[in-house]
Amino acid sequence: MSTHTPVDPAAIARMANRKTAKAGRTVIFRIKRCDGPGKPSYWQDFKVQVPKNANVISCLQQIALSPVTTGGQPSTPVVWESGCLEEVCGSCTMVINGSVRQSCSCLIDDYAPSEGDTLTLEPMSKFPVVRDLWVDRARLFNNLKRVKAWVPIDGTYASGSGPKESPEDQETRYVLSTCMSCGCCLEACPQFNVEADESKWNTDFIGAHAISQARLFNMHETGKRLAAERLEALSGAGGVSDCGNAQNCVKVCPKRIPLTESIAAMGRAVVFHKVKQFFNR
Amino acid sequence: MASGSTDKRVIVIGGGLAGLAATVRIAEAGIPVDLFSLVPVKRSHSVCAQGGINACNEVSRQQGYSEYEHFDETIYGGDFLADQHPVLEMANWAPRIIDLLDRMGVPFNRTAEGNRDLRLFGGSLFKRTHFAGATTGQQLIYALDEQVRRYESEGLVRKYEFWEFLWPVLTDGESAKRCAGIVAQDMRTMQIRSFRSDAVIMATGGCGLVFGKSTNSVMCTGAAAARCFKAGVFYGNPEMIQVHPTAIPGADKLRLMSESARGEGGRVWVPAIKNTDGSWGPHPRSGDDPKTIPTSERYYFLEEKYPAYGNIVPRDIATREIFDICVNHGMGVAKGNQVYLDLTHRDPEYLTRKLEGILEIYEKFVGDDPRFTPMRIFPGVHYSMGGLYTVFTKGRYEPANPLAKHKSGSRPPLGSEIGLGMQPGAMNNMMTNIEGIYAFGEVNFAYHGANRLGANALLSCIFDGLFCGVSVTNYIRDGLPGKKPASGLPGSVFDEFVNQEEAKQAKLLSTVKSGASAETNPYAIGKELGDEMTAACTVVREAGRLQQCIANIESLKGRFARLNLSDSAAWTNQSLSYTRAVGDMLSLAEAVAKGSLARRESRGAHYRSDFQQRNDAEFMKTTLTKYDPASNSVSVEFVSIDADLIAPAVRNYGKKDDSSPKAAAKPALSGV
Amino acid sequence: MTTVPASAATAAAPGFLEKHHFLLRRLHSLTGIVPIGVFLVAHLVTNSSLAWGKFGLRGEHAELGLQGGGAYYFQKEVAWINNEVPHLLLIEITLWAAIAFHSIFGVYYALQGKNNIARYSYQGNKRYALQRISGYFGILFIFYHIATLRWGWSFLVPGGTAWDHKFAVSTLATALRGGESFTAAGVAVSIFYFLGISLLVFHFANGIWTAAITWGLTISRQAQERWGYVCAALGAGLMLAAWSALIGALAISPADARKSEELFNKGKGAAIVAPAGPNTAPNIR
Repeated sequence: MSTHTPVDPAAIARMANRKTAKAGRTVIFRIKRCDGPGKPSYWQDFKVQVPKNANVISCLQQIALSPVTTGGQPSTPVVWESGCLEEVCGSCTMVINGSVRQSCSCLIDDYAPSEGDTLTLEPMSKFPVVRDLWVDRARLFNNLKRVKAWVPIDGTYASGSGPKESPEDQETRYVLSTCMSCGCCLEACPQFNVEADESKWNTDFIGAHAISQARLFNMHETGKRLAAERLEALSGAGGVSDCGNAQNCVKVCPKRIPLTESIAAMGRAVVFHKVKQFFNR
Repeated sequence: MASGSTDKRVIVIGGGLAGLAATVRIAEAGIPVDLFSLVPVKRSHSVCAQGGINACNEVSRQQGYSEYEHFDETIYGGDFLADQHPVLEMANWAPRIIDLLDRMGVPFNRTAEGNRDLRLFGGSLFKRTHFAGATTGQQLIYALDEQVRRYESEGLVRKYEFWEFLWPVLTDGESAKRCAGIVAQDMRTMQIRSFRSDAVIMATGGCGLVFGKSTNSVMCTGAAAARCFKAGVFYGNPEMIQVHPTAIPGADKLRLMSESARGEGGRVWVPAIKNTDGSWGPHPRSGDDPKTIPTSERYYFLEEKYPAYGNIVPRDIATREIFDICVNHGMGVAKGNQVYLDLTHRDPEYLTRKLEGILEIYEKFVGDDPRFTPMRIFPGVHYSMGGLYTVFTKGRYEPANPLAKHKSGSRPPLGSEIGLGMQPGAMNNMMTNIEGIYAFGEVNFAYHGANRLGANALLSCIFDGLFCGVSVTNYIRDGLPGKKPASGLPGSVFDEFVNQEEAKQAKLLSTVKSGASAETNPYAIGKELGDEMTAACTVVREAGRLQQCIANIESLKGRFARLNLSDSAAWTNQSLSYTRAVGDMLSLAEAVAKGSLARRESRGAHYRSDFQQRNDAEFMKTTLTKYDPASNSVSVEFVSIDADLIAPAVRNYGKKDDSSPKAAAKPALSGV
Repeated sequence: MTTVPASAATAAAPGFLEKHHFLLRRLHSLTGIVPIGVFLVAHLVTNSSLAWGKFGLRGEHAELGLQGGGAYYFQKEVAWINNEVPHLLLIEITLWAAIAFHSIFGVYYALQGKNNIARYSYQGNKRYALQRISGYFGILFIFYHIATLRWGWSFLVPGGTAWDHKFAVSTLATALRGGESFTAAGVAVSIFYFLGISLLVFHFANGIWTAAITWGLTISRQAQERWGYVCAALGAGLMLAAWSALIGALAISPADARKSEELFNKGKGAAIVAPAGPNTAPNIR
C-alpha cells in the first residue's frame, strides 16, 4: 500500500468499487439547493449517465448542460465553487454522502457503483450558504490573520538568502504548508460551528488549520519573531484550548496534515508562553 | 476626497503569483492596492504548478552555468520569438527571486547539509530548478498570499474576491486613451460598479478553457484578457499555445503530470516491435499489462531520437513526438492516444520523497500507483505563451551584434547585474498599448516566445510582479498623464462604462429560456468551441483546417448572438458569468486561429504541417492581433522583435536523425 | 470572502471569561485531575475493598466470609477517614468547589460544541461525544451521590434510608436496594449508580488522555497512541475497582453488613465514634 492511500478505511473499501462500476449507468444526484442567504433549502434530484472515471465535477457540468430534475421539471444549473480540479486549490469542498471532501477527487465509481445509486451533495454546514453548494469561507481566511500566518520579512528587495534548514525540518514544514484552506477540518470539527456574526469571528474557535499554520510559522527562523504574538492569539478565547480533541480534523484532512500534532505542539507552546509571561510580568 | 498622492490607488486583477507579487511590491511602497480575483487568491491557478522554478545557482555556476546561459536557453527554447532584453533581465533576477522566496519561508527541498536542493528540468543540461516537493507553485503562491494578507491586515491591500473584471474604464489621456479604473461585478450579489485607479495590472493568467479541456483551472477562460483585447489592448502571439506532453486524460479536465516526472528519470515508451531494418512497428499486444512487455519490445522513442536530451527534451518536441507515435504511427498504448511514462525502475521510496504530490494525483484520479505501474499519458493544452502585448525599456547591455548561441562552459559575455536587460523602474515596463494598463504573468505575451521552458513560468510571473511592480509605482508617482489622479475625474466618466456593462447583462438576461436546444445553449457553445480549437489549433496545424476553424468560430459567434441563458437569478448567477465569458473567449479563439493561419512557418509550439520549416526572414516577428469592434472581428499583423542579443540558430536539441517522420500533413482531428 | 470588515478585528472590551480564557480553561483541565481525579482514584480503590477487603484483614475475622470481611474492612476504612484525616471538612469543601467549578465550566464549554457522530463516526469523535455525555450524567450522579450519602437528603433515597457512617455498608446497601431487600426503585438506583460510576471512570480516563494533548505532553501521533494505552489501562483498572465496589455493595444484604459493622464498632473503632445522626455525621463522600 502506498503512503498516499487514504487513511479512512471506508475510503479504501469504496475504491474497490472502481473495478466493478459500469460505464453509462444512471446515477441520481440528490442535491441540496438554496437560492440565497436566508432562503429555505430544498432538495432536487438529477439523473446523470456516468462515464468511467467520472467525478462529481464532470457530472455537475453535465447537469449544467441541461438542468432537468428527475421529475421532468426544468431547473437551473447548480451553483458551486471550483478551481484546479486537482485537489490542490480547495475550492470545490462540499459534503458528499454526509461527509466533507473535495468534489473533484470524488469519483462516482467509488460512491455509486451500481445502476440507480444515489449520491447526495450538500453545501458545507459550518459556513453561510451563498447559493446552492457555494458557501462563504471568509471566516477561515480571517483566522489566518488572527495567528499572523506569515513570515515578517523586511521587504521584497534582495537581501540575501533565507536561513539554512535541515531536510527533516523542511519535510515537517512542507507537510504543514500544503494546507489549502479548504475547510474540511472545520466542517468536521464539533467545536467549530457556523457563525454569521462577524464580530464573534475573533473569539470563536479558530480551528485546526490556523493552529497548524501558527506552528508552521513558529518553526521558521524568521517566522519565529512573531511567535509570541501567535501564541498570545492562540491562548485567548477561541484559541487552541477550545479544541475538544475529537480529532476529526486529522481524519478528514485531504492533505493528511498532522493537525492533531500541531494542536498538541501549540498546546505545549502556549503553556510555556503563558508561564514565561507570568514570571516576566 | 482631496487629490493627494494617497488618493492614488492601483488595481490588480488576478491573485495568482504575478498579481500577488505585484500587490506586495506596490503595497510595500506605501501605495494602496485593490486586488480583484474570481476566486480567493489562495486558490488561484498558480497552485497547479508542480515542478519548480528555474534560477542559476552556486552549484550550477561552478559547473559552468550562468544567468546568461539561462537567458540563452530561454531564448533558444522559445525558438527565437521572444523579445530578448526582458528575458535577460529575468534570468539575471532569478537567483534573487529564489532568495526572496526562501526568506518568505517557502519550504524548498533541502540537501543533507541544509542547502536548497536542485533538480534537472527540460531544456537544460544543468540542475537549475528549485522545488518544494511536487507542489512548488502552491508553495510559492502561499508565501506571497501570506505577505499580501499581512498588508491586508495593515490596511494597505483591499481584497475583492469573487469579483469579476468586466471592462477597463478608459478616458482621454494626454495623447491617447488612458485607463482610469475598471468596472467589476460581485459574483454573489451581482452588483456592478466601477472602481477608480491610476494603474490597472492585468494578471489574469492563461486561456486554457478556450480549448475546452486543458490542464488549466476552471477560471482560466481568458475572458479578462479578451475584454481588454476588445477594449483596444493588442494581443501578441495568440497562436503560441503550449501543449504539455504529459497530461492525464480525464472527463472534466486534463490533469498535469509534471515534467519533473521526466526530470526524476521518467522514461517515455510504447510497446513496439523492432523491424529488421531497425525501425519500429506497432505491437500486437500494446494494450496488455505493461509489466508483461519485455524490454526488447519497448520503444523508448525520445531516448532513441534525442540521445543528448533523451526524455527531457523541451515540451513542444516531446508533445509532437508523442502525438506522432500515437496519431501518425498508430503505436499508442492499446492503439489509443496514450503512451507510457514509466517511473517503475526508480526506488519507490525515492519517488515518494521527491514526487509524492504528483504521483498522488495520478493514483487519486486513475486508481493505479505510478510507483509500480507505468502511467498512461497524452499531451494536453497547458500554457499560453501569447497574451496581451506589452512594451519595455531596454537596459544597458547593447552589443554591437547579436552573439552566437552560448556554449556550456564558455565564458558568459556579461555578468548578472540589475539593469542590463531592462531598465529597472522604467514606467513602461510591461505596459500595454493603453496607458495605465499593465500585463503581468501568463497574460503577458513576453519572455517565452514560441515555447516556454518548464519551470520558467513561475519565474516570469514573480519577476513581472516584483520588477515591473516598481514600474507601476513610478508611474503612479510621476507618470500620470496630466498629473490628474483617477480620484479627481468626474463620476460620469465611470458611469458610462457601468451603464454599458449593465446593458450587456440586461441583454443576456432577457434571453432566459429553460430547456433551450444545444444550438443556443451557452454551455454547448463553449464545449463545441473547445472541441474545435483542440482539433484545429493544437499540436499540428494546417491552412485548410484553420480556415475551417475560423469559419466555425464565425458560426459559433452567430449562435452566441441568439443564445438562451438558462438561469435568470439576480443572485450568484454563475451561468450568466460563464456565458459572458464564452462570448469573450470566441474573440480570443479567433485571434488564436487567425494567428495560426497567418504564421506560415513552424516555430516552437506552433507546428504547421504545410510549412514545416522556421522562416526567420518573414516570421521572426511578434504576431500582433487587434480587435475591431465595428465588425466584431480580429485582424493580424506582424511586428519586429528585439533580437539584438542572440543570433537565431537552428533549434533541434541535438536531434540525431532529422529525417525521421514528422507529423504528416493531415489535420489533427483527434483530441489532445 | 472579500474584505473582512474592521468590526471583526475590533471586538468590544473583553469580558471576564474572555480575559482569563486561558487560565480558566487550564484550571478546568487541572481540577479534573487534581483534586477530582486523584480523589476519584482513592475513592474507588477504597470502595472496592467491599469486594476484596477480606484479604486486607489478613485472616482476622475469617468467620465473616468474603462479603462480611469486605464490609468489615470497608467500615474500618471509613472510620479511619472520619477519625484520622485532618481538616476533613476543609478537604471536602475544596473538593466540592473543584467539582462545582469543573462542572459549571465543563457544561459551559461543552455547550459550545455540537456533536456530529452521526456524520463522522470515528472512534475519536465518539469519545468526544461520550466525554460530554458522561460529563452531564456525571454531574447528576455526583450531585445525587453527595446529596444522599453526605448531606443526608434521605427524601431522595427510595425507602428513605439515612446514611450513617458508622454503618456505611448497610446504609449503602439499603439505599441501593430501596430497603432491606430489592425494590424496583432500588434497582433503578443501582442502575443509576452503575451508569454513573462507569461514565465517570471513562470521563476521567479519557480526560487525562486529552489533557496530555491539551498541555502538550503528547505531541506525536505515536506518543498520543502510547499514552492512550496507558489511559485505557488505568481506565480499565478503575472500572474494575468501581464495578467491584458496586457489586460488593449489592452482594451483601444489609443485615449481614450490620453484623460486620457492629463487630467493628464494638472493637477499636467504637471508643472514638460519636453518636450518629443522619444530618450531622462527618462522612465518606
